[in-house]
Amino acid sequence: MSPADFQFLPAWPLAVTPLAWVAVLLLSAIVVGEAMRRFLRLSRVLGYLLVGAVLGPHAAGVLDVETLVTLRVFVDIAVGLLLFELGQRVDLGWLRRNPWLLATSVIEAFLTLFAVYAVMRLFNVPAVTAAAAGVLAIATSPAVVITLVKDLRAQGQVTERVMLLTALNTAYAVVGLALIFGWLHFESANASTLMIAHPLYLIIGSLALATLLAAVMILLLRFFGRRPTFQFAITVAFVLLTVAAASTLDLLVPLTLLLLGMLGRVFDRDRHFVSLRFGQSAMLFIVLLFALAGAGLQFRGWLDALPMALGFIAARYLGKLIPIMLLAKPSSMTARKASLVQLGLTPMSGLALLMMQDFAQQAPVLSQGIAASMYLAITILAFAGPMALQFALVRAGETTEDEQ
Amino acid sequence: MSDMQFGPSKALTFGIELELQILNRRDCDLTRGATDLLREIERGGSQSDIKPEITESMIEVATGIHERHADALAELHGIRDTVVKAADRLNLLIAGGGAHPFQHWSERRIFDKPRFKQISSLYGYLAKQFTIFGQHVHIGCADGDSAMYLLHALGRYVPHFIALAASSPYQQGVDTAYDSSRLNSVYAFPLSGRAPVVERWAGFVDYFEKMRAAKVVESMKDFYWDIRPKPEYGTIEVRVFDTPLTVERAAALAAYVQALARRLLIDRPVTVDDDLYLTYTYNRFQACRFGLEGLMIDPHTHEHVAIHDDIVATCEQLAVDGRELQSTAALDQVARWARERGNDARWMREQYAETESLADLMWKQSRYFRTGI
Repeated sequence: MSPADFQFLPAWPLAVTPLAWVAVLLLSAIVVGEAMRRFLRLSRVLGYLLVGAVLGPHAAGVLDVETLVTLRVFVDIAVGLLLFELGQRVDLGWLRRNPWLLATSVIEAFLTLFAVYAVMRLFNVPAVTAAAAGVLAIATSPAVVITLVKDLRAQGQVTERVMLLTALNTAYAVVGLALIFGWLHFESANASTLMIAHPLYLIIGSLALATLLAAVMILLLRFFGRRPTFQFAITVAFVLLTVAAASTLDLLVPLTLLLLGMLGRVFDRDRHFVSLRFGQSAMLFIVLLFALAGAGLQFRGWLDALPMALGFIAARYLGKLIPIMLLAKPSSMTARKASLVQLGLTPMSGLALLMMQDFAQQAPVLSQGIAASMYLAITILAFAGPMALQFALVRAGETTEDEQ
Repeated sequence: MSDMQFGPSKALTFGIELELQILNRRDCDLTRGATDLLREIERGGSQSDIKPEITESMIEVATGIHERHADALAELHGIRDTVVKAADRLNLLIAGGGAHPFQHWSERRIFDKPRFKQISSLYGYLAKQFTIFGQHVHIGCADGDSAMYLLHALGRYVPHFIALAASSPYQQGVDTAYDSSRLNSVYAFPLSGRAPVVERWAGFVDYFEKMRAAKVVESMKDFYWDIRPKPEYGTIEVRVFDTPLTVERAAALAAYVQALARRLLIDRPVTVDDDLYLTYTYNRFQACRFGLEGLMIDPHTHEHVAIHDDIVATCEQLAVDGRELQSTAALDQVARWARERGNDARWMREQYAETESLADLMWKQSRYFRTGI
């Protein structure tokens, strides 16, 4: 018997297709996620992240960078669906009925920005870079918030406020980063015109695109009736369309998605689609999203990066804590619940990672000094955030206790 | 024994309790908000009697003791505005209605209070399905004996009350075909139904003490009767009303009970015996199922009459009482509802037909509650 007799067997080493890696990633993420939930009573999200981090290019290396790029489309779908859903769950009219909430949100954003900026300057980081770090610190992870809220079936004031503030601070951060990019690019050009025209284009353009798409989407949904599977398919299609159109037009993709959700709700005047739930079919994307976010996390050289990362986290914490606690009473909330809202805003995750990567790409030199610390801070908050949010929602008594 | 002392109150005074739904503004499902809402109302310095109920998705509001319909309505307007304003700041909606049309009872959270926890562990899913919303009308009685008489004499009119207040046609996402599906949920409890046929207060206390000795009940609160005496207030409490969609209807219904009570205590037209309840459950079923279109059968004459016709006839007989109690306007309104077959269940079905969205129906219900139009 010679080896030639067995030529029907595949060549060794096995040439594994990327599809197999998706399956491995998905399976192990689901298993570890369930284990987290059952044995440690922690969020499944942590399990997904962990699996991604372990299998990712910065650790075991089972998933290489190329595979991650291939899988990017899943991330886009997942982020798109989550931002859309968050937008849909947010009621801007609430800001009118309770203006102190708007004040809380705006002050929270600015104070976080300034606190982080100041700390970064203490570490001798250049001004633009410090500002970029500050802008990144504003945003709470929409993916973590919406996933945990759904997972824990949370409802109540803390839940609602965390969602509202997250939607708003994500929007601010996205716009803020675009402004910084604008500033970087056009420093040499006719700055004053561009510094006004570019943000205007971004904000008005995103709004116009979202309005158009939301109107068409609701029209289609109304025309074709209310079967849930159909609604899901239409929504996914529109989320993808939004991602594609917004990036083609160089608009702000996350902002457009949030607006699509908000406006979709506004246009749904008979309240047929308000309870659009993505349920089980979306879980696939969510698992991959977090696993891939985990794969992006970095652990190398963390000792050197640690002081600045901790400074960043502390500044971000204070920037959110102070306004939320001070404005608790006027915005109709007890101090105890306000502190839980603040804890709930801790998560940073995939979106922050993407924003940091964008910044590193746009300003390779400027970002160098902070990149390691930022990745480390995001890593810490990616794991600590879901725990803090879960703790907050459980302590507020807003989760469903008999949940498995 | 002291808790069964009938504390007399001024005859024909009345008070109203309403259980209200707390909804989220996103999809108008029931949501957890009672604790925060109550705190917000308290913070606003409200003196009104507003309490938590068995689940976090419900609050109960109550008026003080009134003699005139107009005063009760004015107080209800004040309470409504307070609650609605607080709800606005917390991004919540408040609505009337006897049941939520599409809530999932497994999602409800039992309000954190020992008695509620105990009820929940005893009745299991019934307690959560008990996320239903009623109006209670208390009528003051001079003594225990007249309270027992009034309790039984009002039994004949229970179908009127049910049909006029019915506002729970939808439950669990479907049209139940009933105008008041809420009462079906109440009947699932072992201690629901009607009080025993006892004419004197002393006789009733005997009955109650036996039930207590047998450990069937601990207090009067354990009876979920359609009408029950409330000795510590010196009242009888009519409990068959679904919470109406507006406080205007709630006040008019209370005025109707008040006028009926006056007439019954003056005329003393019935003998309290078992025959009185011969057709009671049949009539009650008709009212739940068909609302104002239902039929009621007179236990003595065996005559069949449409509930709406009987209400119109009754309102005519109450003309003097309306004048005496200054509630003519409210009684006219009740008679008009009966003539036009206009109850809230019908309003809800008409609204639903427009958009076929139960979430939208709840949105409209909350707007209707807020404005009364």
